[in-house]
Amino acid sequence: MSFVTSIRAESIKVKRSSAFWLSLLGAAFIPFIFLLMYFFKPGVFVPNLGNDPWRSHILHGWQALSIFLLPMFVILTCSLITQIEFKNNTWKQVYSSPQTLGHVFFSKLFVIHCMILFCFLLFNIFLIGSGILANLLNRKYTFFSSPVDWEMLLRTNFKSYISVLGISGIQYWLSLRFKNFIASIGIGLALLITALILMNWEHIYKVPHAFPLLTFDAVFKKRHRLLENHEWNSIAYFIAFTVLAFFDTKYRKERG
Amino acid sequence: MSSPVIQTSHLDFSFNSSGKTLDNVNLHVPQGSIYGFLGPNGAGKTTTLRLLLGLLRIQKGGIEVFGKNFLQQRISILKRIGSLIEQPSLYGHLTAKENLEIYRLIYSCNKERISEVLHIVGLENTGTKKAKQFSLGMKQRLSIAIALLNEPELLVLDEPTNGLDPNGIIETRELIKKLNKEHNTTILVSSHILNEVERMATHVGIIHKGKMLFQGTLNELQQMKSGKAALEIETSDNIKSIQLLHQKFDAQQENGKIILPFRDKQQSAVVNKLLVENGIDVYTLYPQHNDLEQLFVDITSSN
Repeated sequence: MSFVTSIRAESIKVKRSSAFWLSLLGAAFIPFIFLLMYFFKPGVFVPNLGNDPWRSHILHGWQALSIFLLPMFVILTCSLITQIEFKNNTWKQVYSSPQTLGHVFFSKLFVIHCMILFCFLLFNIFLIGSGILANLLNRKYTFFSSPVDWEMLLRTNFKSYISVLGISGIQYWLSLRFKNFIASIGIGLALLITALILMNWEHIYKVPHAFPLLTFDAVFKKRHRLLENHEWNSIAYFIAFTVLAFFDTKYRKERG
Repeated sequence: MSSPVIQTSHLDFSFNSSGKTLDNVNLHVPQGSIYGFLGPNGAGKTTTLRLLLGLLRIQKGGIEVFGKNFLQQRISILKRIGSLIEQPSLYGHLTAKENLEIYRLIYSCNKERISEVLHIVGLENTGTKKAKQFSLGMKQRLSIAIALLNEPELLVLDEPTNGLDPNGIIETRELIKKLNKEHNTTILVSSHILNEVERMATHVGIIHKGKMLFQGTLNELQQMKSGKAALEIETSDNIKSIQLLHQKFDAQQENGKIILPFRDKQQSAVVNKLLVENGIDVYTLYPQHNDLEQLFVDITSSN
């Protein structure tokens, strides 16, 4: 049985699950709020968005996302995907099916990252959609007459994805470790709040839950390095915690 | 019938340092058998079955399934097994077909197999109903359907009738017998109800406090039981009754009742006639109920 089959089996489980709805609603939340603001307060936002409305719109969108919602989304997605097995008491059926531990472990991690990327994709669509819709509803906006900075949008997406890798590694491990989802979400939330408090600390680039906001900061300040230090750290955290989680699962006395 | 499908050797397991959950368990499940794995709750049945499926790490001893070492050939062995451990394992937000589709992919079965197993367990018409809306009986049947997907040579069922109504219990039992007869599927089924095991098993293993007390064919178990059975009598005059019965039987008084070794139904009639003809009123007269508890007492005392 191939790894692709394990992924196909995993993706059926996500259908209609809370994780799926979270991606959809999580991605729509900020663009929807922005649309309401643009619609009800054109006097404030038409001048605020200025001559380059897309840049301002996209940057503000990503800023709102990166501070809290994006890390929280990753924390919740990791827990919800693993909770599908805990809640339904299905780990035992998964582990007594003819799949290697590697297939089980990595197919689930793969699906988690698909959900993160799915949320990114939806967020971009909704963000651009909200700009277009705002312009349709109020002709004073200049979204139609300005070009979208696709390069900046892609770079923001790429770097933001790299920035959440570390959180996803840690949270996946916690979500597999604790049957009670309150534990993994609680620890994740505590780490996120700690990171936000420590934002001015000189070593903040080592605190994983701060990475999405640090990435936004780098994009906003137009730094053009391919990867910032904290983004390299994010990759390192991801690898370290994924390896840890794999061996922790492998050598556990009791599974399922 | 002789070559074992499952063979465990000196299997020990403990969850913590306070004591052994399994102690030197040597399970021998012959091919083509319905092996009733009997024991009270907490005896070690589920622990043994979880070890057999790789859900617990083997600490001491070995497991061979289909003549292969389980640890070395886990995947190829699991491909030939269907299992249902404890309560149903179903994705509540998915339909019956979607639940089956997950395992159809994993076991690489044909699409038609989904309709076949749904037909076998009588769940063809659940449509878009989610598994969480199923009754416990339906959930149990869908779990059995999952276990049957890969046409397993060995079916491991842990207390499959738990929580089912009498009709569900009968249906499950008949299904087990049918699979065994028509497909020659070896079935290892655990239960804490002696009566249930006696109605379907060809072989029996009895586990108590982590130790195997008995292992053999159902006939061997029944022979052992009949050797231990007793007739219990309550009368208006126990002392006089014992004097009368002593001429033919080894009767004794225990807790205000008369106990004597039970042989057959005719013996009951002889005893009753003897007492009544001698002016003694007989209130009750019956073979002692041979439940699991009594069986344990008998086996333990004979050991």
